[in-house]
Amino acid sequence: MTARSAMAARSMMRGRSAMAARSMMRGRSAMAAGLLAAACVAWSALPLAGGGPGIVILAVASACALLSVLRLALGAAPAPAADFVNPAISGLRTLASLARSLPSAEVMVAAVLVLEALHRSRPWQTGLLGAAVLAYLFATHLAESGARASVLRPQVSLIAAGLGLLVLAVGAAMLPAGTGSPAVLLAVLAAMAAVVVGGLILPV
Amino acid sequence: MPADPVPAHPVPIDPGPAGSGPADPGPSGPRRGQPAAAAGARRRGLAWSLSPHAMRLITLALTGLTIAVLTRRPEFAGVAAPAVLLLAVRRPERPDAITVSTRLTRASVIENEQAELSVTLAGQGDCVADLLLHPRYAVVPEAPSGSRLPFRVTRSGRRSLGALEIRLWDRWRLATARVTADLPVIDCYPRPAPQQTRIVLSRLPSRLGEHPSRSAGEGMEFTGVREFVPGDRQRRINWPATTRRGRLQLNTFAAERTQNVVIIADASSDVGQPGATPADLALRGSAAAARAYLAVRDRVGLVVYQQGVRWVAPGLGARHYHRLMDLMLADATLTGPLSRGPALMTRLPRAALPPGSLVLVFSPLLDRRMVETVRDLRERGFPVVIIDVLNAEPPGRNDSLSGLARRIWRMEQEAIRFSLRELGIPLVRWDGEQSLDGPLAPYTRRVMVSRR
Repeated sequence: MTARSAMAARSMMRGRSAMAARSMMRGRSAMAAGLLAAACVAWSALPLAGGGPGIVILAVASACALLSVLRLALGAAPAPAADFVNPAISGLRTLASLARSLPSAEVMVAAVLVLEALHRSRPWQTGLLGAAVLAYLFATHLAESGARASVLRPQVSLIAAGLGLLVLAVGAAMLPAGTGSPAVLLAVLAAMAAVVVGGLILPV
Repeated sequence: MPADPVPAHPVPIDPGPAGSGPADPGPSGPRRGQPAAAAGARRRGLAWSLSPHAMRLITLALTGLTIAVLTRRPEFAGVAAPAVLLLAVRRPERPDAITVSTRLTRASVIENEQAELSVTLAGQGDCVADLLLHPRYAVVPEAPSGSRLPFRVTRSGRRSLGALEIRLWDRWRLATARVTADLPVIDCYPRPAPQQTRIVLSRLPSRLGEHPSRSAGEGMEFTGVREFVPGDRQRRINWPATTRRGRLQLNTFAAERTQNVVIIADASSDVGQPGATPADLALRGSAAAARAYLAVRDRVGLVVYQQGVRWVAPGLGARHYHRLMDLMLADATLTGPLSRGPALMTRLPRAALPPGSLVLVFSPLLDRRMVETVRDLRERGFPVVIIDVLNAEPPGRNDSLSGLARRIWRMEQEAIRFSLRELGIPLVRWDGEQSLDGPLAPYTRRVMVSRR
């Protein structure tokens, strides 16, 4: 074996190992996202309340959780056109493109929060659900971009601050209502923050 | 005898214009092993938009805050708080444009050889870039490592690599921008099949080479002993024979001659499995034969028959090998038919087919004109050897009518081959997987008698 071919073989091995490591990392993130989605849906659904609308929202949340996991499993690469000769494969490809195009993760997050709001749960349970939803969003992002978890390092301080606010909010909710109404004040602050977030949707 | 070093990889030389006639070698391109010239750095504008991650965070924040307001439950505002913080953070200024430059680490490759595309980005600031190669036909991308995108080209020809998608993320991965860049064209040469042995003719032209001929000369191969005559070199005196006979005896040696070899590559039938069609096999076999004969300083010419006829007159040396490879590349692009109609081999000038040349034909014999050409060459006295590269059958259903048609087709093919054998043309089959030495063994073990 010449030096050139040995070098090419080593380079190929490195490339394959890098590809395997990348796909393994993507698979782990997708698996974590799937588990977190299932946990969020189950946590927000129990005990099921709201009657018919509750069941509908639960069905929507479950379907969206499945679709989001399917989307992560399929990846973003479109299939080559030569595979479309078989009708069965063509149907599967259509389903896959549908799973890719639907905003399943967004709908699932909204449905889970609505389900949680439908029944009177304890504040710490809602706080735990919020942390799980946030973890699900980050796992989904890592799985679809194929990035390492270290890319989130610049955001660690902000995430920690946000979780701190979550704990404060949960603590405020657990305080017994006294003179004044902290919940009303919080609602006003929340409305202002909603305006801020709405402004962020504008083109950046 | 040390062989003339013929590199395994050709040097890219710009081919002449497509069409019939001799290939123009053109100016030498960049040497293999040296980096190819970098594609011009291009500045490309960026259109930033919210990333899918940001959209999901906005959904979480809006839903949480809305529920908090409607239900007056502050814990939902807490659920929205991390998302609000992440979205409301002050963002550094994002670049409006970046400069993308791509460079191939090799200007040319051979089939299934790995090459790399090096991508350099400038002006991206602290944004993170993901590179994704969208390959074209016969280009197989492999796992990228940083800014290097390795790939392989599976079929010979002048191949466009495709497009490069660059996705930029800001530091918080909340905004993203996409840029697409067209990639350069790479020359992929056929991978020569293994071949160590060669066919040597009994009649060789009187030109110095490496094949021992029947006539006496100044070669290395001992042929006999004769009596010394004045003027002979004294160092060739055979002293044991001189002692036995009592008169001065001299060793005689065979003259070493070269031969002219003309390879005809019939790449007109691109049928069957892509990458293993008769055209692919013909080009790989031709490359192997050219390398094997040039290694022993034979003069090798090439005639490529595809949509037209292109040829290179016999020559020798490493540079000539590259010229032959470029001729194959010029016809292996498969980009469409040439404007001129197919010409006949009989119109080739004497320079392309020197009298007495050994003619090796790599062909599936599916084109009647090629069959007639081979017959014509044999009748003109050329020693011809056909390497049959037909490895595919017409596709069809498994019903009786298709089976009957296939049988008739097979019988026609057998009849064509039988008629060629009857003319005294050796015909061997080669499947493209084994070495060429096996099929050609009956003709490489001894000299091939050339009749006129």
